[in-house]
Amino acid sequence: MTRPAESSVSRRLLRLLLLPLALLLGIGVFFDYVSGSATIRAAYDRALHEMALAVAAHLRDADADGRIDADLPPQAVAVLRADSVDSIYFAVRAGDGHLVSGDADLQALAAGNGSEFGDGHLHGEAIRLVTHPTMIGSTPVTITIAETTRKRTTAIRSILASVVLTDIVQLAGTLLLVWLGVRYGVRPLRALGEQIEQRSARDLAPLDRAQVPVEVRPLVHTLNALFETVRDSARAQQQFLADAAHQLRTPLTGIIAQLDLLAREASGNGFAPRVLALHEGTRRLAHTANQLLALARSERSATTHDDFAPVDLEALATDAVAQYLDRSLHARIDLGAETEPARTLGSLWLLRELLGNLVDNALAYTPAGGRVTVRSGVAGAVAFLEVEDDGPGIPADQRAHVRERFRRLPGSPGNGCGLGLAIVDEIAHAHDANFVITDGNDGRGTRARIEFRVA
Amino acid sequence: MRILVVEDDALVADAIRRGLGEAGYAVDHVDSAERAGTALGAESFDLAVVDIGLPGADGLALLQRMRRGGSAVPVLILTARDALADRVSALDLGADDYLVKPFALPELVARSRALIRRSRSAASAELVIGALRLDLAARRAEVDGTAVSLTRREWAVLECLALNIGRVVAKDRLLQAIANWDEDIGANAIEVYVSRLRTKLGGAAPIRTVRGLGYRLDDAPG
Repeated sequence: MTRPAESSVSRRLLRLLLLPLALLLGIGVFFDYVSGSATIRAAYDRALHEMALAVAAHLRDADADGRIDADLPPQAVAVLRADSVDSIYFAVRAGDGHLVSGDADLQALAAGNGSEFGDGHLHGEAIRLVTHPTMIGSTPVTITIAETTRKRTTAIRSILASVVLTDIVQLAGTLLLVWLGVRYGVRPLRALGEQIEQRSARDLAPLDRAQVPVEVRPLVHTLNALFETVRDSARAQQQFLADAAHQLRTPLTGIIAQLDLLAREASGNGFAPRVLALHEGTRRLAHTANQLLALARSERSATTHDDFAPVDLEALATDAVAQYLDRSLHARIDLGAETEPARTLGSLWLLRELLGNLVDNALAYTPAGGRVTVRSGVAGAVAFLEVEDDGPGIPADQRAHVRERFRRLPGSPGNGCGLGLAIVDEIAHAHDANFVITDGNDGRGTRARIEFRVA
Repeated sequence: MRILVVEDDALVADAIRRGLGEAGYAVDHVDSAERAGTALGAESFDLAVVDIGLPGADGLALLQRMRRGGSAVPVLILTARDALADRVSALDLGADDYLVKPFALPELVARSRALIRRSRSAASAELVIGALRLDLAARRAEVDGTAVSLTRREWAVLECLALNIGRVVAKDRLLQAIANWDEDIGANAIEVYVSRLRTKLGGAAPIRTVRGLGYRLDDAPG
């Protein structure tokens, strides 16, 4: 099985146009040559015939016995034969065939009533000859004039050369015009292709139909309709998730708040441990519900670039530190920031979710007395967010797996649901960003880094 | 002090009412924006806790109506949606704080207390944080009723932290607060003032260092 050749409109157009055009021009050259050389031949033949007539004018019927006088003085013969290029021969024969005057080795053609042209050879050279029958008095006489074909050949050659040259120039010009025309003609197509190619896969803004040729408008129309459908479904998904979040969180809020109260009321009596266990279980349920909602919201099918705007990563980093400060104090972890200005194009709330999960994760896995640092900045062509801890670290062979959903490292402390890094991964993807996990400084702990395009 | 709770979910509303009640506040509860409008017109409140997802007119509409009507009652918005649009529009419409469900009750109580304190201090020029009492007009600080002598720069740092209690205040901002008096202050100056404040105020005003960012005066319950 051979792979089908890549289909290209311009190549196809060139193939369909160039071959027939070249053939057509070739045929044109052939016919120009044929008609040009026929004209030249006719002109030289006419001149030959006139010579025959001129010779005939010099013939006299000398007497009644049928003898013909060739009144051809040597000067006249010299004039007749005078030609710088071709050799000219002539022969005048009486009706019985005997030579009256001229070259004996020039044979006459079998002539009828009219003049007859023909080709022959004389002295090893091609000749053109004309045989002109006439009557001198009552005596039939045949005049034959021949000339070598050098002039004709030269003339025909020069005609051929000029015709072919003109036609070749014309052919080349035409081919060039066709090639340029095709290239120029398919330029809107190429531009459309490039426009589509340069878009991010998540950019669902409609393509501009005004600049697109009529022929591919249906295609663009269909693409735009498809974009619209995808956008609508993403919007519908977001709406559904927002509603689901409301329906899930409101009762959870009520239950957790009631358990808060109940735990206080029950403190000291026998129900306290059970109420606390309920409280903790519900809190975990709420956390999982939150994470599931966050994951669903950050999924590729639910995010578009419609709500992307410049995001201040430095502000995001300092906000995250401020937000998680209480938790870090509670866990006796030194949470700090090392930020430099950095910006990227993205969704603020998704990036907030992303960084929140990274910090949350770092705090969960770093023992008391440890250190967690949130960084932002620009390195070369990338803007980055980074969270580094000096906890136990993630073994190199586990770094790909921890991004999987519901995946937790064996023996992990805490009660996470294993969705944190999966959410980070999804959101990084949605931003065409790199999510890199490496060792922390001095090979200790974990450094999670998200590399964005600089905005 | 009186708080209006606008929440349509009975379970949540009941817990909030009890939680705030236990913290010593008088709580009125209504379950719709319309009833909230009536209550706000009839009584005066120190705080409104408003859920966005109300039946009929939602919490944002209520907030907008309050602010257009010239009400200065601090508003704490509750929402089950965490889409940024909600947060932004709530703050744009004049909400003072924002809490995403599910929240822990102590969190709600702490935020409510901070909002009430902030609005009171703006009205009375007095700030009470646990054992610490600040007279913003006279620039005087007291711990347990005893006056603490502070330099002008120490006062400026403490005032800036106290007005942003519970929030991280960037070093740059503290520098700006004292730059009015002295043009050439090194970046280390703030550390010096904070350390002196810690000595002078003791445990009455715990000032946390937030590495790489600045400082935070922690809220004390009460």
